[in-house]
Amino acid sequence: MAENPNPPQRDLPDGLVPEEIVVRSERRWFIVMIGMLVVMMAVIVVTGMGQALHPPSNVETTNPVTLHLGGEFAESNLGTAAEPDGSVTVRMIAQQYSFVPSCVKVPAGTPVKFRLTSADVIHGFLLLNTNVNSMVVPGFVSDVRTTFNTPGEYRMPCHEYCGLGHHGMWSRVVVVPKDQFPSMTPIERTSCAEQ
Amino acid sequence: MPSNIEEPPRSAVTSAGRDAAPIDVKAAAEALKYGPRGALLVSSIAVGLLFLGWLAFYFLLFLPRGAIG
Repeated sequence: MAENPNPPQRDLPDGLVPEEIVVRSERRWFIVMIGMLVVMMAVIVVTGMGQALHPPSNVETTNPVTLHLGGEFAESNLGTAAEPDGSVTVRMIAQQYSFVPSCVKVPAGTPVKFRLTSADVIHGFLLLNTNVNSMVVPGFVSDVRTTFNTPGEYRMPCHEYCGLGHHGMWSRVVVVPKDQFPSMTPIERTSCAEQ
Repeated sequence: MPSNIEEPPRSAVTSAGRDAAPIDVKAAAEALKYGPRGALLVSSIAVGLLFLGWLAFYFLLFLPRGAIG
């Protein structure tokens, strides 16, 4: 009778690897894992403290019911505003299913502060290819700061599911050369339509 | 469903004859004399790549993009 070329696999007994080898391997693996975690934590702590990195943690309340009646988020106050210190503040409202205004222009190489709030449900926003990423919660003001080093167009989608039209909710931030920004009118700064 | 308790269950892969060559206890003990070196090598490469990837993302993407808070 011919020998079966594929005999059933047998379970190997325990204890094939010497006990001291097992213990040594596990100890070394544990040390390597702890070492990696220490390196990662050290990198986060050192760079975080050195560069003052922290997530947006602004706690500032507003009334979503009266946003349109006046105050910081009245329609006339939305868009890009130049501050006396040379920085720029962008104010926007997130609502189902759009950002208002739908496109803003900011200068390159200038500190930009985004201040957003929601008029209805929880939204979110991020700017592609940047670290800007925050939720926009009704009743609170999201305050995120960044500096755009290169001119260009940055897409700004809502990344928090907000309803059936969520997929179509996005805005644009157009970064223009720094010397071009001061000559722009307020309308040009909050509209990307060709003038 | 009828079953034969005399025979251990076999997977479809095993029944197709594509399983690893069987090894007897002596050969297995010889191969594992210094521990599962092959498994440690493969897992070290995988974890090392993951670690390097994390460092690359952190230093080459996250930090250059700057703080937002």
